Amino acid sequence: MNTYERIDRDLSDRDFTVVGKSVKRSDTLEKVTGTARYAGDVALPGMLHAKMKRSNVAHARIRSIDTSKALALKGVKAVLTHQDVPRVLHAGSPHPRSASVTRDQYILDDRVRYWGEGVAAVAAVSEEIAERAVALIEVEYEPLPGLFTIEAASEPGAPPIHENGLDRNHVLPPVFVTRGDVDKGFAEADLILEREYDLGRPTPAYMEPNVCVSQWDGNGKLTMWTSTQSAFMVRGTLAEVLGVPLNKVRVVVDHMGGGFGAKQDLFQNEFLCALLARQTGRPVRMEFSRKETFLGGRSRHPGKIWLKQGFTKDGRIVAREARVTFNSGAYGSHGPGVTNVGTAALTSLYRCENVRLEGRCIYTNSPIAGAFRGYGVVQTYYALDLMMDEAAEKLGFDPAEFKLMNAVREGDIAPSGHPIVGHGLGDCIRRVMEETNWHELRRREKPESVKRRGIGIGCEMHGSSAYPGIKEQGNAIVKMNEDGTVTLITGTAGLGTGAHTALSQIVAEELGVPFEAVSVVQGDTDIVPWDIGAFASHTTYLGGRAAQLAAADVRRQVLEHAAPLLQAEPADLAIRDGFVVVTSGSNRSIRLSEAVGPKRGMPAMQLVGVGTYMPTKSYSFAAHFAEVEVDTETGEVAVLEVVPVHEIGRVIHPIAAAGQIEGGIQQGIGHTLSEDYVIDLTDGRSLNPSFVDYKMPLSMDMPSIRTIILETAPDPGGPYGAKGVGEDPIIAIGPAIANAIYDAIGVRFHHYPITPEQVLNALKSKANETRQ
Amino acid sequence: MNRLVSMTVNGEARELAVAPNRTLLDALRNEGSLTGTKKGCDVGDCGACTVIMDGRPVNACLVLAIEAEGATIETIEGLQPSYDQPHLLQQKFMEHGGAQCGFCTPGIIMMAKALLDENPDPSEDEIRFALAGNICRCTGYTKIIDAVRATAEELRKAGTL
Amino acid sequence: MKPFEYYEPASLAEASDLLRRLGKDASIIAGGTDLLVEMKEELRSVLHVVNIKKIPNLRNFTYDPAAGLRFGALVTVREVETSPHVIGNYPNLAKAVSLLGSVQVRNRATIVGNICRASPSADTIPPLIADGASLSVYDGGADRTILLEDFFTGPGRTVLSPGDIVTGISLPAPGPTSGRAYIKHGRRKAMELATVGVAVSIEHVAGQCSDVRIALGAVAPTVIRARRTEDLLRGRRIDAALLAEAAESAMQEATPIGNVRASAAYRRDMVGVLTRRAIGYAMGGAR
Repeated sequence: MNTYERIDRDLSDRDFTVVGKSVKRSDTLEKVTGTARYAGDVALPGMLHAKMKRSNVAHARIRSIDTSKALALKGVKAVLTHQDVPRVLHAGSPHPRSASVTRDQYILDDRVRYWGEGVAAVAAVSEEIAERAVALIEVEYEPLPGLFTIEAASEPGAPPIHENGLDRNHVLPPVFVTRGDVDKGFAEADLILEREYDLGRPTPAYMEPNVCVSQWDGNGKLTMWTSTQSAFMVRGTLAEVLGVPLNKVRVVVDHMGGGFGAKQDLFQNEFLCALLARQTGRPVRMEFSRKETFLGGRSRHPGKIWLKQGFTKDGRIVAREARVTFNSGAYGSHGPGVTNVGTAALTSLYRCENVRLEGRCIYTNSPIAGAFRGYGVVQTYYALDLMMDEAAEKLGFDPAEFKLMNAVREGDIAPSGHPIVGHGLGDCIRRVMEETNWHELRRREKPESVKRRGIGIGCEMHGSSAYPGIKEQGNAIVKMNEDGTVTLITGTAGLGTGAHTALSQIVAEELGVPFEAVSVVQGDTDIVPWDIGAFASHTTYLGGRAAQLAAADVRRQVLEHAAPLLQAEPADLAIRDGFVVVTSGSNRSIRLSEAVGPKRGMPAMQLVGVGTYMPTKSYSFAAHFAEVEVDTETGEVAVLEVVPVHEIGRVIHPIAAAGQIEGGIQQGIGHTLSEDYVIDLTDGRSLNPSFVDYKMPLSMDMPSIRTIILETAPDPGGPYGAKGVGEDPIIAIGPAIANAIYDAIGVRFHHYPITPEQVLNALKSKANETRQ
Repeated sequence: MNRLVSMTVNGEARELAVAPNRTLLDALRNEGSLTGTKKGCDVGDCGACTVIMDGRPVNACLVLAIEAEGATIETIEGLQPSYDQPHLLQQKFMEHGGAQCGFCTPGIIMMAKALLDENPDPSEDEIRFALAGNICRCTGYTKIIDAVRATAEELRKAGTL
Repeated sequence: MKPFEYYEPASLAEASDLLRRLGKDASIIAGGTDLLVEMKEELRSVLHVVNIKKIPNLRNFTYDPAAGLRFGALVTVREVETSPHVIGNYPNLAKAVSLLGSVQVRNRATIVGNICRASPSADTIPPLIADGASLSVYDGGADRTILLEDFFTGPGRTVLSPGDIVTGISLPAPGPTSGRAYIKHGRRKAMELATVGVAVSIEHVAGQCSDVRIALGAVAPTVIRARRTEDLLRGRRIDAALLAEAAESAMQEATPIGNVRASAAYRRDMVGVLTRRAIGYAMGGAR
């Protein structure tokens, strides 16, 4: 059961006709009928199938590659190795406006840096022949020492994985953030807690494996169908690395089967597929198997967080010091962004004036960590929130009350440097407590039974854009057709969140037309305006605002056009329910189609509105309640119920917003209790690249979720005050669960995932301690 | 060497020329041009390729196409009663937000159809049990379950089951 | 998946002859849910696939209160799972089969196929061993019967030779005082390979155990009987102290290995907990 709470006290009392309603999502008809076209569904005449040869060593130089047997196999059309491809150093995730692009990748290198890295590619007449050819490629490696952990790779004198001029395998120079006087703060503290938190390696495990199809036309133009969140970045990087201008690369993404951040990167396949297509003169398709999607994909950054805080008896935090170290894996990808965002996040959430933070990101010979929902903040707020729970207990406060007391407030300086708008976090915490009868549950008797229950609360805040790390820009074009219907042309990618529906709602609202009157053109870089990509919880905030601005531009033109027809000034006109109406002194109106349609002897005017939006920053907030049951004999933890309360400004589509929250909780339960992509620390081999052994919670594991959405702190930067929601849920659920486990069994864990075996061992040690 | 395999797909008699090592999934998607059925793992772990074979839901990736000789196959493309009218399950998935990225959706809808054909009044636990082999990474399952329950309810009301 | 030759023999004799002729590069396909995965992942090299689904009489399914349950090699896991006879008389087997893969997999997979793959973590094997199941094997001549617990020689290995075909399985009828349970341990509630599986089949009157069989899955190279633990229980009154003793004993009998799914020590611990719980459930205790 879901509730969508509407508390509009900070908003204008304007009545909305489309915004805030759960209209039938316009992108889902194709999905439920199986007609939605994903990149892997593209089939072209004469199409070849490509496969990648992947390394079975984690760190080595390639001494030689023998492709003769592969080339001799009937049906093989081309084989590429590092000797056959352009050698252009590029970034794996090339945000063009990011301060922290890490150029450290080649399409294929003469060196491999992680187990499963692509070393060659084959195109053949069938996928099966391509697979057989891949097996026939012989690679001779000269092994290099494998540095699999942060500790090994950042030891003084550790051999460099990349020659980037930085010592001890740093991806970027250490990040320092300071506010106030930390030493003075610790001197004033009544309680100092110091802990190290150890975070595992969850991966997004989107359902659609990476796949692309490439085709060159007779004019030397490349069309690339691919599954990406950032079509324009793929276009830009392909153009740069392949040495062609932007107008010769067209990237098409009709629908994509999930990305959760990771599909901002390029995965070697785009380049190889394009080059194989160019060489063979035929379209080429390259689809990763599920195993390859694990091997060559991106994970969340594993990391270690050392956190020390000083508290006063009256419950204030007077000093906070942290050293955050992330494991980037073999390439930089989003390491700089994640390190900056994750580290800076520790300035906020719970108020503290004296902060000293240090963030590092280290190359290792392990799978590449990239962008994944929650982007560094999952890790750092897990540590921060767990320590709040611990401090509350030591100081004699209720943990929820303690978090409420210290919750970030209106005007506090956010990690981005902006003052916080509104009081969303406090509202969320209060609402969780009311909704769950928190104090009553805390007082509940806890029998010494085999299965023990506990409750916990976890909090978070997250920005609705990547600013200031990346200067984002969203663009939209809105066309009014002569019958009064509307076409929205947007660069915003359809990740599955319902963004196109939300954007259509915004356009419909702005133009006073029904939702059904708006259709969306998207997913083709030759047609849609430039867009930075769908990430950073910003699609509605950024793309929605651009769409709103474009629609407002069209509205202005419509009203100017209609003014003489209604013998009124444009300022006295409005569009309502598909009519242009005079708003003062008269109730004259005409149909929108009359206003914009063709007149006798006159064609219709083409009304086109353009919107460009460059956002700064807004923050969304959440507090999650979790109840768990721990089996004290097996160590298994079941999540029984989750009550997420999110404050996200104006809600455009309640069901879609709630869907984001519930899906984020699923992934968060996963990384907190069971999901961990593991490598063998002796050779770097992946140990669980499959859905059997990478343990995502499934239908029977998921608890009931009672979603509550608040609208108490709308942001002036977002459309109608809307803020982001994509990443927030995955951040708050982890600490809620870990805190609930403590409540159930009295053991504090300082890591994720918390496995049954660890729970059992902790209970055994606790029992031994009590006995002694 | 290819063989001709005859089957009834979505009510239509089809003959597909396939090699013995072709799976039903690949045959439907390639030779059959029915790309609504998705390949998420190809080893029976994710359920994205769920189709109904002779009345029973199966993973098309774990069936050889030649084993489908003479079989009746239903895929997501065959569910709509007419081009302008989605099946009730499809409508409810739209209304309740049961589809996000949509990649698991065809398999989940086919599994839900098989469930409702067998059990028109499933409890929440029964729905969760039936969908255990269908991975959805977007929704947390909440809205999928809402959609299946709403379908069952409406079918019962209409008395059409 | 690599190319292979495909055969559809119409009789057991033809199939057996074919398999003997083709030797170790040939494999039977029944449900195919394991075989195709192994072939795709190149865990097994199979050049000849022999589909036995055209052979008549392998789909029989009979239950008789005196003779027990008997079903053929092509009976699917789902058919067994949903059979009222199985649910009513072999609750441990019903539980185990409901935990094997997904509904989709169970609609294709066969019980006999799951057995023949001889995985130490197979869900179907512990309850079938605990219930005293035996297999009928056709080898071109007369059928022979093999007690299931004598069938396995190692992980993925059985006593079968090329040309042998398991045609069916039979289970004795449960006695009037039978109690049965199966508990599977995994990280998730479904879609799991067992990290430990424990099946118990016990004859008991008024808390007194007259006979018992305990089978442990995923903690040895094959599914094993916990015979010393059974001896401990037989003829005694089951109480908390004895259950604790039995748990300890079963842990000693297990020889688990550690891997990415669970460590050896944890698996051993779980053998103790699950054995204790399974005996309790089999005796009618609350779950």
